[in-house]
Amino acid sequence: MKRRTVFKSLMGVSTLAPSVIGQTATPATDEAFKIDLSAADAVADSRHKYFTPQQYATLTRLCDLLGPAHNGRPSATQAEAPQFLDFLLSQSPTERQVLYSQGLDQLDIDARLRRGKGFAELNDGEAGELLAPLKTKWTWKAPAEPLARFLREAKNDVLRATVNSKAYAEAGAGSRRASGVNTYWDVID
Amino acid sequence: MRQDYDVVIIGSGAAGGMAAYVLCKAGVKCLMLEAGPMADMQRHRSMKAVYDLPYRGFGKPGRFPHITQASEFDANMWIDEKANPYSYPENDPYYWVRIRMVGGKTLRWGRASWRLSNYEFKGKDHDGFGENWPISLEDLAPFYDRVEPLFRVSGRNEGWPQMPDGKIMLDESRDSTSIQRFKAAAAKLGVPTTKPRRATGTLASSVNLLLPEALATGNLTIVPNAVVREIRVDPTTGRVDTVHFLDRRNKREYSVPAKVLMLGASTLESTRLLLNSRSRMFPNGLANGSGVLGHYLFDQFYVKNSVVAIVPEARGGKGDRTLMGGAGYIPRFRNLKGKEKKFIRGYAFDFGSGGTPSPELLPAYGGEMMKMMDDLQGTAFSMTTMGEALPRYENKVSIHPALKDDWGIPCLHIEQTYTENEFNMAKDGMETGAAACEGAGFEVLAKHWEMVPPGESIHEVGTCRMGADPKKSVLNGWNQAHEVKNLFVLDGSSFVSGGVQNPTLTILALTMRASEYLIEQKKKGQI
Repeated sequence: MKRRTVFKSLMGVSTLAPSVIGQTATPATDEAFKIDLSAADAVADSRHKYFTPQQYATLTRLCDLLGPAHNGRPSATQAEAPQFLDFLLSQSPTERQVLYSQGLDQLDIDARLRRGKGFAELNDGEAGELLAPLKTKWTWKAPAEPLARFLREAKNDVLRATVNSKAYAEAGAGSRRASGVNTYWDVID
Repeated sequence: MRQDYDVVIIGSGAAGGMAAYVLCKAGVKCLMLEAGPMADMQRHRSMKAVYDLPYRGFGKPGRFPHITQASEFDANMWIDEKANPYSYPENDPYYWVRIRMVGGKTLRWGRASWRLSNYEFKGKDHDGFGENWPISLEDLAPFYDRVEPLFRVSGRNEGWPQMPDGKIMLDESRDSTSIQRFKAAAAKLGVPTTKPRRATGTLASSVNLLLPEALATGNLTIVPNAVVREIRVDPTTGRVDTVHFLDRRNKREYSVPAKVLMLGASTLESTRLLLNSRSRMFPNGLANGSGVLGHYLFDQFYVKNSVVAIVPEARGGKGDRTLMGGAGYIPRFRNLKGKEKKFIRGYAFDFGSGGTPSPELLPAYGGEMMKMMDDLQGTAFSMTTMGEALPRYENKVSIHPALKDDWGIPCLHIEQTYTENEFNMAKDGMETGAAACEGAGFEVLAKHWEMVPPGESIHEVGTCRMGADPKKSVLNGWNQAHEVKNLFVLDGSSFVSGGVQNPTLTILALTMRASEYLIEQKKKGQI
């Protein structure tokens, strides 16, 4: 069950989607009408498609470290960044898929070599040793070393996936900017 | 019975739109062919939250390998790169950024509106490199004078020869303290600063400023979704007589007679069309007896965020509007009185105060980085370098021997690289920008001189240049083909050199001038 659904159940709020209520309540009319709809990821968990279970566990831990909850805003995992990145990477160009897969594998291998356990089991201090490349001075060119390059990409992607999530928007002040609302251009045939 | 048109215009952006505006108001019957559709601003646009987009704002992976400007919000505006391919040498990528829609790239241009100066028009006289334009600032100034009010350009007139004054709305707004400090520091380095000079208004496009008035005359017919494949000439006269095009949606083929052709399909599309229009009379492409067509491709190199600094007094949320905010411009200041550096020509900067530095610039992650971001909220001062790329014969476009677009039209192979002159300029820009920031008391967070790939600035010009000598150029000083008197090429392809100024204002002025010349010539019976 989705976390939000669990939360609403605990609060005693009906978990029936508003759109369903709206559809049954709307009288038949030929006039302009508006039906509220819901995005799929608000009601269902997406299926993991790309990363192996071990890679996904590493990614989830990495998301915890890169995007913790802060000032009332959700963490990357609360924003379901790992699920989203798994989906995004499943459709990404091969070069990017390799960067992510090898980067996650390398983190896990390094963790086992140094600490005898997987990256997903490391505490913050232990994991911090492996994330040292993120504390180096920024350069325009991406680092030559693959792990450093992966970490730089992952840092940006995790933050973006978090800030662009519905959970993040809902935790904001409700302003258009905080909610990431913008002008969308439809397909023009 | 079909309308008989005096002029066929290809393209509906800055060049095509201005041609229609001038010609139709003078009573000339025009047919405009636009390769893309017409957007309905009400029907095709809506407000959406980023989390409701299919890819959470990241965009469909791999959809735009070369259009870094595209976001998931506006992805449907930009050209479909798969349907419209092109090629480049394996290790020298070229980013060709296109919009095919009524209004063209004026729907999305940056609006910076600087006149070219005689440092550009007569560049060869100044430093010996390249060719002079066959016209001077004095020839084009009367047209700049009329384009600037039409596009509601605002800025400051400073009286500097490298940044000619204009008929603009004077920007008297007060600078924030951070901008004032930066300007004072720049002045100590001998670097001039001014306000931005930009077209204003909610929309500053061909679709709202040019085409409506042209249509109101009853003299303009616009056909969208018309992908022009070839221009044909009458073998007896050597003049354009027919335009062949396909319907973008169903690929049905059409031909339309053309008494006069005004070509403004965009820099590289116009040249592609001319190169694809071969005949016994013009075996190397229409109007290409000189062999110059396709050569001398250039743009302005861009170093985005060449310097990002922090205004320390703004830390901790103290950056109010008196301290932070606002923007400015540094016009070219190098090599105005001789060769000062290890390069010829010069570069300019856009700079701005406000906003928060990108998290990627911070050497931290997680909670530590978020605390830094809180502290740095609204503290950023950033600069972007825009430098003159020299027109070189070897930077060129040609027709790919096999690659074709979805309409079966042969595609371009594009070759452009930057050289030591541009690299040295970019390095000098980085050091000068950083020195000005430090002089203002800012903390330089990051600096670099890495350019974006050629083309990404969307300031591509050249490849069908004008000139006094028909052996070295395709067009005369009126944007008229030397060899084909009823063919005018209006867009950025006609440029001889480009300086650091954004090209749109000059394209508009050149087109206004060429269109009025055409009207005069028609009256005299010369065309």
